[in-house]
Amino acid sequence: MSRTVEERIADVRRLLDAAIAVHADRAQLAPAIGRSSGLTPEGVELGFASLETTATAAELRALVASAGHAGSVHVILSANVFVGALRAIALARAAAERVTVRPSPRDPVLARALVERAADPAITLTAVRDVGSVAGDEVHVYGREATIADVRSRARPGVVVRAHGPGMGVAVVSDGGDVEQAADALAADVVAFDQRGCLSPRVCFVRGGESAAAGFAAALHGRLLDWSRRVPRGSLTAEERAEQVRWRGTLAYAGRLWDAEHHAVGLATTPAAVPPAGRHVLVVPAPSREGLADAIGLLAPFIVAVGTDDPSGFAAPRHARLSALGRMQRPPLDGPVDRRGDPGVEKRASPVP
Amino acid sequence: MGANEGSGAREASDALHARVRAVIAAFERRAVSLEAFDALASDLARFQARHVPGYGRLCAARGVAPERIARASDAPAVPTDAFKLAAVFAFDPNEARVTFRTSGTTLGARGAHAFRDVGTYDAAALAFGRATVARGLAPPVAVLVVGPSPDEAPDSSLAHMCGLFARALDPGQPVERSFFVRRGTLDTAGLHARVAALLPSRPAVVLATSFALVHLLDDLGRDQLPLPPGSRVMQTGGFKGRSREVEAEELRRAIAAAFAIAERDVVGEYGMTELSSQFWEATLVDERARPGVYAEPPWARVVPVDPETLAPIVDGAVGIARVEDLANVDSAFAVLTQDRVRRVPGGFELLGRTAGAPPRGCSIALDEMLSSRGTP
Repeated sequence: MSRTVEERIADVRRLLDAAIAVHADRAQLAPAIGRSSGLTPEGVELGFASLETTATAAELRALVASAGHAGSVHVILSANVFVGALRAIALARAAAERVTVRPSPRDPVLARALVERAADPAITLTAVRDVGSVAGDEVHVYGREATIADVRSRARPGVVVRAHGPGMGVAVVSDGGDVEQAADALAADVVAFDQRGCLSPRVCFVRGGESAAAGFAAALHGRLLDWSRRVPRGSLTAEERAEQVRWRGTLAYAGRLWDAEHHAVGLATTPAAVPPAGRHVLVVPAPSREGLADAIGLLAPFIVAVGTDDPSGFAAPRHARLSALGRMQRPPLDGPVDRRGDPGVEKRASPVP
Repeated sequence: MGANEGSGAREASDALHARVRAVIAAFERRAVSLEAFDALASDLARFQARHVPGYGRLCAARGVAPERIARASDAPAVPTDAFKLAAVFAFDPNEARVTFRTSGTTLGARGAHAFRDVGTYDAAALAFGRATVARGLAPPVAVLVVGPSPDEAPDSSLAHMCGLFARALDPGQPVERSFFVRRGTLDTAGLHARVAALLPSRPAVVLATSFALVHLLDDLGRDQLPLPPGSRVMQTGGFKGRSREVEAEELRRAIAAAFAIAERDVVGEYGMTELSSQFWEATLVDERARPGVYAEPPWARVVPVDPETLAPIVDGAVGIARVEDLANVDSAFAVLTQDRVRRVPGGFELLGRTAGAPPRGCSIALDEMLSSRGTP
């Protein structure tokens, strides 16, 4: 028997209650999350601030509407930003009466804690790694393009694979606002999860010429220094450290670089020098609306979120989540974080009515 | 760049070009060069730090005082990405005679390598090409290029090099007759006809990218294009999604079979738009040389470095390639690539591109952006 919308919302609310319990117990979970994510204890605590524990009725109604219908959903979680497990499970539960969750082997802590505290008999944890053995209606996979392609290739015929791939955030700063305030807010968005989220801003367009952009870059550098004292950056992998060295060298050559041990801000006239995650921001001057539109258009396929201090000054990609600076990591619980859509679903099968 | 500064830079550049060409000429004469690599490298690095603004900034960022550069290894290497974002040349843009460009990416930026004087590039390419892939061949040697001509691809450094080889090795032929990709289409029938017309007593040289060779092999099926005895085939580059991928040994075997030559006569080349020198497998030069090991000319070195510290690593360990190329007079003497390499006896092994950072979070990795076709 299919559930009503209200019943689905109630099922999602049980997960929100579980999130409240998890948040209360976060001190117990934090060390393991720190080990798996590389975040410092302060970074884990900051990350917990992005764990959704409340949502309005309208937001949950929107989440349920976005989730579709399925008899059962198998959720494959990657080593995502750790709070991402809640929304992933909530979307699956909104869609289906039976949900199996395979946490990331490398980062299983929050997903397990949520499922255990929700105590919802419809949601079970699994360690099944062979997606070809999953006989449900849908597989929701979170991860890299290569992971998604692998899951698609192994899924049983008839199983709909809904993919949630990687992405990034961008910021747009107006040319009449409070530079220090905007820089501090953007720094907050950058520092969360050490910039490893698909909402994390990595490129910031500053309306005006190069001197305005340089002024903002210097301010952002200062704010990131302040943040790094309160919330030190965690460990980077060897590959991340290598990418950081390469990007910093490139920006020193091709633009300007404000360099610190735990972050760097670069200035260049093109957004093509997208920095790696790990608290690196590329600031790009945007002297004209047309130039800004072109630059955003270039990055649009990768943009999940746009943060700004003046949404009237430009057109964000239609799929992007638009928010104030400093709020980019806290989108309402009203559907998937990433609204770019999954063309692969349409290619494989029609949505279940 | 002001007029006085410009003429000063030009004179300094001309002098450096002359010194590098002297090194190349000595190699061609099998003479010992009087120029020490480190001395010339240091002068190049100092010249570039003075006349290429980006390089001056890079030196400052790395804490390197240009006047104190005394060895090649003292000079910071320019990441290849810089060629996509900034002017990497020591002259007025109006003086650029040739500009080679890398292939495009989803982010739109193409690397550009501009030359005021392409003579040093040409001298370096010909000298080491004659010593490796064309070793022992006296002109006229038929050159067959499975790729576009320089006229069709004027910004391709590979097309330029192939045209150079065609003119130098087969001087009696109109150069256009050497090229068998026209308007993006492989002219297999034309290649068949040209091979059929080759004199059995005159070896030929086939120059091609790996993906073009895969397309050719697919076109040929079980058919053959038997080359005269002593002929060679150059293969270069990866597949870049432009053909099916074929494992290196399997491709070498298939090429040798298709052209009826020995596997050791299939010679790999490693070159980049950002460089002026090329590296060649030495299988035709040294009977002990293994396929997959690339030799360097005396004016260029490949140094594996630690990707985090950028310090050289011990022989036998895998690092990323820092290429020190004396022929890059007006651009970047030292270039930091993303290719993984290992020093082995006789040269270096090429081990593919560095992988992007492994998944940790859902932030898109740079290599995913560059390889993406754009989701929405």
